[in-house]
Amino acid sequence: MGAMVRRLEFDNLLSRHMRGRAGHALALLAIGLVLAGCGAAPTPMPTPAPTPTPAGEVLILAIGDSLTEGLGVGDEETYPAQLEAALRAAGHAVRVVNAGVSGETSSGTLQRIDWLLQQQPDVVILAIGGNDGLRGIDPALTEQNIAALVTRIQASGAVVVLPGMEMVRNLGSEFVSDFRAIYPRVAEESGALLMPFFLEGVAGDRTLNQPDFIHPTGAGYAAVVANLLPYVEQAIQQAQAR
Amino acid sequence: MTLLHPTFIRRQLATTRSQSLIFVLCVALSMVTLVALRGFGDSVDRALTRDARALIGADVVVQSNFAFDPAVDSAVEAIAARGAAETARTWEFYSVVRRPGEDGSLLSNLKVVDAGWPFYGTVELASGAALRAVLAPGRVIVEQALLDRLGVQVGDALRIGDATLTIADVITFEPDRPTTFFSLGPRVLVDGGDLAALNLVNPGSRVTYRWLLKAADPAAVDDLADEVRTVADRDFVRIDTFRTARTGVERFFTNFLFFLSLVGIFTLMLAGIGIQSSLTAFLRERHGTIAVAKTLGASSRFVTVNFYIVVLLLGAIGALLGILLGFVLQWTLPALLSGFLPPDIELTISTRAVVESALLGLVVVLLFTFLPLYRLEGLRPSFIFRKEEPPIVNRLPFALTLLLILGLFTGLVIWQLGDVRTALWFAGGALVLLLIAALLTEAALQLLKRWDVRWLPGRQALRGLFRPRNGTRAIVITLSTALGVLFCIFVIEQNLRASFVQSYPPDAPNVFFLDIQPDQQEAFAATLGMEADYVPAVRAALMAVNGAEPRRNPEGEDRGNGGEGGPEGGDGRRSPQYTLTYRAALAEGEMLVRGDSLFGDAETVNPVSVLQETADARGIDLGDVLSFNIQGVPLDATVTSIRKQDAGSVQPFFGFVFAPDVLTAAPQTIFTGVRVAPDEIAALQNRMVAAFPNVTVIDVTATIAQFASVVQRITQVVRFFSAFSILAGLLIVISSVYATRLARVQEAAYYKVLGATGGWVTAVFALENVLLGLLSAALALLMAQVAAWAIMTWLFELEYRFLPDASVAMIAITIAAVMLVGMVASIGILRSRPINFLRLQTENE
Repeated sequence: MGAMVRRLEFDNLLSRHMRGRAGHALALLAIGLVLAGCGAAPTPMPTPAPTPTPAGEVLILAIGDSLTEGLGVGDEETYPAQLEAALRAAGHAVRVVNAGVSGETSSGTLQRIDWLLQQQPDVVILAIGGNDGLRGIDPALTEQNIAALVTRIQASGAVVVLPGMEMVRNLGSEFVSDFRAIYPRVAEESGALLMPFFLEGVAGDRTLNQPDFIHPTGAGYAAVVANLLPYVEQAIQQAQAR
Repeated sequence: MTLLHPTFIRRQLATTRSQSLIFVLCVALSMVTLVALRGFGDSVDRALTRDARALIGADVVVQSNFAFDPAVDSAVEAIAARGAAETARTWEFYSVVRRPGEDGSLLSNLKVVDAGWPFYGTVELASGAALRAVLAPGRVIVEQALLDRLGVQVGDALRIGDATLTIADVITFEPDRPTTFFSLGPRVLVDGGDLAALNLVNPGSRVTYRWLLKAADPAAVDDLADEVRTVADRDFVRIDTFRTARTGVERFFTNFLFFLSLVGIFTLMLAGIGIQSSLTAFLRERHGTIAVAKTLGASSRFVTVNFYIVVLLLGAIGALLGILLGFVLQWTLPALLSGFLPPDIELTISTRAVVESALLGLVVVLLFTFLPLYRLEGLRPSFIFRKEEPPIVNRLPFALTLLLILGLFTGLVIWQLGDVRTALWFAGGALVLLLIAALLTEAALQLLKRWDVRWLPGRQALRGLFRPRNGTRAIVITLSTALGVLFCIFVIEQNLRASFVQSYPPDAPNVFFLDIQPDQQEAFAATLGMEADYVPAVRAALMAVNGAEPRRNPEGEDRGNGGEGGPEGGDGRRSPQYTLTYRAALAEGEMLVRGDSLFGDAETVNPVSVLQETADARGIDLGDVLSFNIQGVPLDATVTSIRKQDAGSVQPFFGFVFAPDVLTAAPQTIFTGVRVAPDEIAALQNRMVAAFPNVTVIDVTATIAQFASVVQRITQVVRFFSAFSILAGLLIVISSVYATRLARVQEAAYYKVLGATGGWVTAVFALENVLLGLLSAALALLMAQVAAWAIMTWLFELEYRFLPDASVAMIAITIAAVMLVGMVASIGILRSRPINFLRLQTENE
């Protein structure tokens, strides 16, 4: 318990003196606070000074949730990091920025999309919706959010790669099929590049996943990148053609 | 002449006075302390074990998020087949449940359970019926929230997966699911017989699979766990016993019990010192008798053996008294601990605890009585008749006894704790404490000796300390050691209390609002209608410091391990996550440690102020460039200042504070906290949630109240056990002061012969006692503060406070106690007329 409390500096919101073993009860709450502490809203305000991208480099923004952020793996094993390495090895001058936020739903992404698009990316990989499904959010709302996201990103001038998501089967067959249908429909309506299933060949495989069943290991992400690569290369081509 | 002389022994017993009473009380005290400690420790342990079992509902739980390998299943089935354990399976997962034929659907937290679950603890249902009287194939039990949110009732049908089941009851308590458990949906309990019909547990389903085992033989729990462990894939299957599943609460209790054990052992030691000093004084009063007996031909052996019998008889009286009091405690402890331990735990003091305590008490008595009795051997009548100081006895037995005593207490600590290292620390600490006490006493006495006081009563009082055979040095060492331990316990108790109370002062917020969106803040403040600080929070990762990876957290928490309860494994380094905030100025209770101003001069691009602890942990210095990834936007910031926050502040603290214009546009949420009277919370909560459905409200009132009550109980228990030490300390004071009585009788007589009034003699004696008390208390306080600081810092990992008021009070009370006892002891002396004493002296010579 002590270790967990020390990790989260936020805990002192509740208990300044209980970093020790005694702060059990309040520490639990503190963790709850941190878990709940994400989400955002855009405000048109003075712009900060983000680190600029060197001229001539293609900027790829990997937007998503914990699957993008890479919960449970090291920085170098996340899919955006592996994708950047793979693209560079294939001779592309690219930079892939990890814009994943663990636990985020499509509504959360919609809140921070303007913050992200100020970087003027050339390509955006939008891998979102998994948490919507796991929380049982109505697939109609998820679809509406993803469609709005794709529209906003395309309006900024970036090419969108949209990997499809599928839901765990314990949620019930009706929900699972409703959810699966979101991605092809949005792609078809918007012209985004659809990758049929983000975790193709990875989901449910014990050798490629962490013990939580949900999150791939580094090797799992390598498989994801191998599947994703052709779609991203196609997107880079489209972006450069503009 | 026979060695045993009943008449002699009877006479010694019959003429015993205050010192033998103190001796008896000290022995009794050591027994009671031991019995009470054992009873308390056993009870807490039983309560924790029972809670731990209920918390996982079994003795052993085998758990995985992937379907079990056949090897695991067959290992468990083999255990069940040979009767070594009862087994049950559970499957826990989320699913979307629906009202058949209607629109409503709801994400629910399903638990499919075999008969047998839970093996420990009880599931409570709204109907009051037993779980298994209700739960059967075709029927489900749900949480009230499901009924409310789906608009259904008990008796209605519910569509779950491919099955349609009937809601049979409402669950109100589930032992293995704490109320604080974070869940995305209400609970639905389904009978194991319906699992296949649901058609939800398939490849591609995310399910937590569990085997629960209830061991036939409680001692075999670990063996059963190991048996399954050998066939399970460690990375994917987690195996807990009720022992390994114990929580942070348990660690706290372990430390708490350890602390109480130390208090108990110290009390025992104090009682031992009391035994030793009262016996020494008791025997000194009998020097005349001994001298006469020896002159009349009694051998040293006769004297020693007969006094040993006297001591053992007194010891036996003390032991009996102690055990009797121990049984009285059986009725006291439950009242003391009610609310602290679960209400239905039986508090009994086992016969074994009593016998063990009695044996231990005996060892203590024997050890501490050895020296005073051993000294009798060397006692020559001539020394006594000539009123000469007996020669110092052989030092070897003295040293040996000391070592034995130290060994005994080290052994005790090992026995109570099973931890050799701590025990050795304890022994070393005790030795050092004695040594330091002796050194400090010597230094203080030397200083006092040189002090030239003009005022006559003052001078006489000071001289009185160095009166021959007064034993000032021994008394001060004994008193300051005893008081040192006492003060230490008291200071720690006060510190524990202050830590808990002050970390939650009465005006600190009790209701928190999270996830307020920036565009809601104005409307939120208007609806809230009370003053509050709104703090923006921005999540970000610290990618680099000056282009290199930030220093790793010493606890290795940056490794791939994402977070709480999260996946293990992943060897790569992970950038640490922080919650950033922004504001224009230092907050209340903050101060700059380095840097001229919070954000430097206006030239600096993206200035950031770093908290000292964070800077130390990550190796950050003034002027460093920090690379953040702020939710997908890379940002380099320059460190313009390093801050620290006052330890007493209840303000939230942030590792990184940015200037406002840098982060205003960043994705953020706002949180705030207010203090609300308990009866207004519900109304406020409803009002805020109705207006701002996305805002999360956390009400910590109940938690604080619960916490405060636990803290109060803890303090009571500590106080209860400290009372034993205080009693022991008081007995030592009484014994020590009485020991100087003889010398005072003489002095009072001379003063009076020289024309002093009773009042003048009283003043001298009072002053002498004040000096004695002050000296001992001051030395004790010094040692106690150092020890308490060490214990608070290292054992409890809490902040230490000096407590000046309490320190002054402790010194004052000690002086008052020593003076009071001294005066009571001297009343007889002051009243007696000098002529009686002088006549006695003349007759003697």
